Amino acid sequence: MKRPWLILLGGLAVALLAYGGSYFISSAPMHHLEHSPAPALAWLQTEFHISSAEFARISKLHESYSAACAERCRRIDAKNAELRTLLASTNTVTPEIEKALRETAELRAECQKAMLQHFYEVSQTMPPEQGRRYLDWVIGRTLGPQHATMTFDSPDADHEHHHE
Amino acid sequence: MKPENSGHDDAVLSGLLREWKVDSDLPPRFSEQVWRRIERGETAATFSPWASLWNRIAQAFARPSLAAGYVAVLLLAGLAAGYFQARIGTERVQDELSTRYVQMVDPYQRPPR
Repeated sequence: MKRPWLILLGGLAVALLAYGGSYFISSAPMHHLEHSPAPALAWLQTEFHISSAEFARISKLHESYSAACAERCRRIDAKNAELRTLLASTNTVTPEIEKALRETAELRAECQKAMLQHFYEVSQTMPPEQGRRYLDWVIGRTLGPQHATMTFDSPDADHEHHHE
Repeated sequence: MKPENSGHDDAVLSGLLREWKVDSDLPPRFSEQVWRRIERGETAATFSPWASLWNRIAQAFARPSLAAGYVAVLLLAGLAAGYFQARIGTERVQDELSTRYVQMVDPYQRPPR
């Protein structure tokens, strides 16, 4: 009477081993991404099928963009702090507030322009088809229609706001 | 509570039983039928759904083709479950990393400190 027990438990053991092996093999690329030195950039390389040489150029572009971006962020933070001080000191739109708002908007536009320039440079480093795909994706996530839709009467606005 | 005349009744009953004689013959194969009924009664008394199920499993596993089929089905189920579980995990990590990339390049999407 031992044989049925052996088959029953042996089958379950085989299922567990198969599950573990299959999970380990199928999730290996994910673990490789997570444990790479720069996981987000490693994801970019995998997602857009970037070669090692292209990836080295993109990493350099990213590095120089990040340094310039940090400097712009510092200026935006300083301008925002100045604007907050001005707003706290009055209850009307003074010429100083108007000037600070204009400068804040200019800084934001400058930041977005640099961002867009970086996206173009990165996309041009990729193979053409992947570059187009990258641009569609990254512009959709950063400067896409959801950021420009401010009115309720456009079809996009309806799509964006119908849950509100 | 024993009736007062029970001793007297027992004696009368014993006398009657001693005098009682069976004239008719037993039906054919009477003894065999009695044993069969006893066996059936014992089987019904020890019946359990688990034992029955286990007997059926044991009978099925006695056939090599069914035993091999059982192991093969579990092997495939384990492989499929592991693959789909890993795919769910991979999609989650890809979503996280793509969001992290966007936050790295777009300062307006960085989470507040």
